Amino acid sequence: MRAGLRRFARNRMALAGAFVIFCVVLLTVTAPFLFPQGAFSLAGQPLQPPSLRFPLGTDALGRDVAAGVAEGARTSLLIGISAALSAVLFGAAVGGVAGYYRGPIDLLLMRMTEFFQTIPAFLLAMLLVVILSPSLLSVIIAIAAVSWPGIARLVRGEFVALGGREFILASAGLGASGPRIIFRHLLPNCLSSIIAVGSLLVATAILLETGLAFLGLGDPNIMSWGLQISAGRVSLRSAWWVCTFPGIAILLTVLSINLIGDGLNEALNPRLRER
Amino acid sequence: MSDTAIIRLSRRDLLLASVFVAAAPVAEAQTPTPRRGGTMVMLVHPEPSTLATYAVSAGNIPPVTTQIYEGLLTYDWDLKPAPALAKSWEIAPDGKTITFRLQEGVTFHNGQPFTSADVQYSFMEVAKKVNPNGPVILAELTSIDTPDPLTAVFNLANPAPYLMVSLSSNNMPIVCKSVFEGTQPLNNPTANRPIGTGPFKFAEWNRGQYIRLDRNDRYWKPGLPMLNRIIARFIPDAATRSAALEAGEAHYAAYSAVNAADIRRLQASPILGSTTQGYGMTAAITALEFNMRRPNLAKKEVRQAIAYAIDRQFLVDNVLYGFAKPATGPLSSVFSTSGFYTDQVRRFDVPDRIDIANRLMDEAGFPRGTDGKRMSLYLEINSFGEQWLRQGEYIKQALAQIGIDVTLRSEDTATWLRRCYTDYDYDINEPFYSAGADPVVGVHRHYVSSAIRRGTTFVNNKDYRNPELDGLMDAATREPDPARRATLYHEAQKILVEDSPGAWLCEVQYVTIFNKKLHDHTGPLGAYQALDRAWLDR
Amino acid sequence: MRRWRYFGYRLLLALPVVFGILILNFFLIRLAPGDAASVLAGESGAATPEYTELLRAKFGLDRPLPEQFVAYILAALQFDLGFSFRNDAPVSELVVARLGPTVLLMITAYTFALSIGTLLGLLAAVARNTWRDAVISVATLICYATPGFWLGLMLIVIFSLHLGWFPTSGFENIAEGYEGWDRVLDVARHLAMPATALGLFYLALYTRVMRASMLEQTGMDYVVTARAKGQSERRIMFGHMLRNAFLPVLTMAGVQAGNLIGGSVVVETVFGWPGIGTLAFNALQSRDLNLLLGIFFISACLVVIINLIVEILTVFLDPRIQA
Repeated sequence: MRAGLRRFARNRMALAGAFVIFCVVLLTVTAPFLFPQGAFSLAGQPLQPPSLRFPLGTDALGRDVAAGVAEGARTSLLIGISAALSAVLFGAAVGGVAGYYRGPIDLLLMRMTEFFQTIPAFLLAMLLVVILSPSLLSVIIAIAAVSWPGIARLVRGEFVALGGREFILASAGLGASGPRIIFRHLLPNCLSSIIAVGSLLVATAILLETGLAFLGLGDPNIMSWGLQISAGRVSLRSAWWVCTFPGIAILLTVLSINLIGDGLNEALNPRLRER
Repeated sequence: MSDTAIIRLSRRDLLLASVFVAAAPVAEAQTPTPRRGGTMVMLVHPEPSTLATYAVSAGNIPPVTTQIYEGLLTYDWDLKPAPALAKSWEIAPDGKTITFRLQEGVTFHNGQPFTSADVQYSFMEVAKKVNPNGPVILAELTSIDTPDPLTAVFNLANPAPYLMVSLSSNNMPIVCKSVFEGTQPLNNPTANRPIGTGPFKFAEWNRGQYIRLDRNDRYWKPGLPMLNRIIARFIPDAATRSAALEAGEAHYAAYSAVNAADIRRLQASPILGSTTQGYGMTAAITALEFNMRRPNLAKKEVRQAIAYAIDRQFLVDNVLYGFAKPATGPLSSVFSTSGFYTDQVRRFDVPDRIDIANRLMDEAGFPRGTDGKRMSLYLEINSFGEQWLRQGEYIKQALAQIGIDVTLRSEDTATWLRRCYTDYDYDINEPFYSAGADPVVGVHRHYVSSAIRRGTTFVNNKDYRNPELDGLMDAATREPDPARRATLYHEAQKILVEDSPGAWLCEVQYVTIFNKKLHDHTGPLGAYQALDRAWLDR
Repeated sequence: MRRWRYFGYRLLLALPVVFGILILNFFLIRLAPGDAASVLAGESGAATPEYTELLRAKFGLDRPLPEQFVAYILAALQFDLGFSFRNDAPVSELVVARLGPTVLLMITAYTFALSIGTLLGLLAAVARNTWRDAVISVATLICYATPGFWLGLMLIVIFSLHLGWFPTSGFENIAEGYEGWDRVLDVARHLAMPATALGLFYLALYTRVMRASMLEQTGMDYVVTARAKGQSERRIMFGHMLRNAFLPVLTMAGVQAGNLIGGSVVVETVFGWPGIGTLAFNALQSRDLNLLLGIFFISACLVVIINLIVEILTVFLDPRIQA
């Protein structure tokens, strides 16, 4: 693992991504001090272009776009990370059980996974948000609910592939219990893939959140980049700054997360290591 | 093209329309000669769910159906009745009988001749039974006599002054009796393939894309219509709709087919023009509704304080992009022409309104807590578009100034409607009212106690009960004398504003955007009127 | 012959999935609050309770849930997906009418994303760790990170309004009434931007998968063996690696079919493309239960079909599967 981190540190693109994410986190932490009034407060004249007073301009209600971007960072990261984490935990559990026990359980769980993969994810997310009524939690649940099948398939695939390997067969032959094999041998061996794919899930989750907010399915009480873009969209062509900056924020964040994910993948994936 | 030019052109149209002179207009030096033919594309948003305009009064249906169906009457620029399918009419001195003389030689699109029997059927069997406004507008209509094929006599139980302003093709379309007889109007096969007497015939409806209307070659107004074809296009995205107008792909967009935020930019386009004419019968107002079943909101002081806390001019400038004006009460100032409107009511737009509001909150017994908050309330976001979320966000900020912590709740249309009009599980709602041609049509139902009907949308959901107001509105319904009606309405407005069962925010000014190649398109009823005279320049 | 038996088996496996989706869809959507009649009544301005009841009875919403369910399943087996009160038309008719544009959009987006994506991924893998690899990687990552609706709006602003190359929206120019090849060309012009907006994300995805997959192959034993036998790099790449590396891309494309339909909701809305996506968005907004059920069912069927096609292709491409 440590060697992996060293390899990661040598990857300049991944480092750049990590740096951007560090800045985003920093922004999240400092937002309450930088913008004590909050992102919803009517800070000045509406639709002002970027200026010294408002470096990113103001939106149609006279809210500071910079404050929105800062507060939206927290929302996006929160939604992205919680949704991805929930999806990974659930997906790994389903995939792990299916891949280890095989047989009818495998068949059943994989049918279920397939099932959830078949339903168009975005439609399902929309539907769930509507059923649960738009709020931070319902958006997280909806995104997690459509994100887990990928992880489940990945973990199952890895388990099945590893299941036939000599060392697994050896431990099973030595009488190791199921959970012991899962947690000591199987999971650590596919952790790198899970981390790499899971980090990419954060990016997808942020994009999904934006899409939902674009259709008016976000939490209206919490500032997010998606909400900003959906609000700024109507004045897109007369006041470009309102949704350009949150758009850039999304782009940079998602891009950086992807770079980190790639970096992790290359650093941790043993099969890529030699090259 | 400036607004004044529109008025002049349209006045000329009206003159022509009312005397039914054939197409050739009086030549004016600066106006191009009308040209026949061509396909006009109008934007309608959202796509109508049905074309059964006789049974569903959604606002996105009439731009299409008023091309197909006609009414007994139409209205002039002062919103006075003008001839349509009825050539002339006379009202008995006691106000209880109205005799309509019908146009001769009119046929439906299926070839059937139009007679007084169709009028009788349209009102007695269709409008009275399935038109959602029927129970109000036609409440006094007891029967229709048809002494001959070109005469229809309306018998009323009591005078109904609002009836004569509610007979346009939009409100009370005339359908073909032989098509409807013996069927359920709601399930009639022509619900979505309408057959009327209008200048355009229904051709096809390609769901999700467009409705095509073709020229009615046997239209009863000689030489009309000018256009060969009208296509109503449906584009779900607002920005794309604007782009279609800018690119010249669409010629005409009325009501909210264009986003208010885009209007200024579209007005600057060299190929587009705009007008605010033709919305006289709309009288649209944005408002807040308070659920008076809630103990906090049962207190008049709290409701008034909320009304004081909101800067209406801010909403006009920043939510409606200037296409509105601040409202003073439940009646739109559009009704000043009829004398019904008054601004002599409690005014919330005073300079020290925030102080007053805070004082009222103190008096009501809601002191600020340690966190500066007096109470928490939910605001239900109107689900009909982006602008309502913006308005809600502003109201949240505005009410924070007087210590009310507002949480916005945004749900889909069905849930929102059920919460506010069936379950009554809301604190503040932000609806949108269209008064129509007369307060009886679209104002009374929000305030009279007889309109507290669970499960019915857009009626008195506030649990507001004031016998004095009920009496005034009841009297105004029956009073034939306009001056006396006006006095009744002035009194009603004073009471309503004082009681503040709601807070009235802005009078919405709609704007029609049109391609400058399109001429003679806007009449007194705007997009709710046939485009029989409209023509396209090359 | 054995291959066909295998396909038959796969087809049989797909049936419970389809049936399961029917069941899930029904209950999932019934869980949603609100009911159809109140929405339609709401759109009608002021409606009396009697009028709302009338609507409810007309659309069978007053019957008990189990009864509605049984009726739904029985009808669905005959491909009768019920009636859309909101559109006043049978659901199957509505959905089938919208199927064409969506399938056209999906196929175009797929072809675009798969061909260019594979090519770029190959290029990036060959030139690994050079500036070309970096440029391709960054470009695809940017595509991957851009919200679809934003991209769509930008395309409209640039290519329709400023350059005037493509129409802003719609399926075809109705006012002109083109026929024959003119019509095909007209539709193609309308198709270009939505397909790009929808496809770019997947292009980025396939590029990434292709690149990773190619690199994965490099370390495989057979490549090492081939190299040791002295085969030329070109031969190794095109003779062995390409085919193997393409398999994960293909699998990914099958897996993504559902997402592609989801993505088309946003893209179709932006471009006014008259497909299933727009229909689904409208249906959700107006709580058109039967229509939503129908859309879910049909799009799930579509995905199952796409997955079957992918499976068939995989069998033909993968030398290891000897079914």
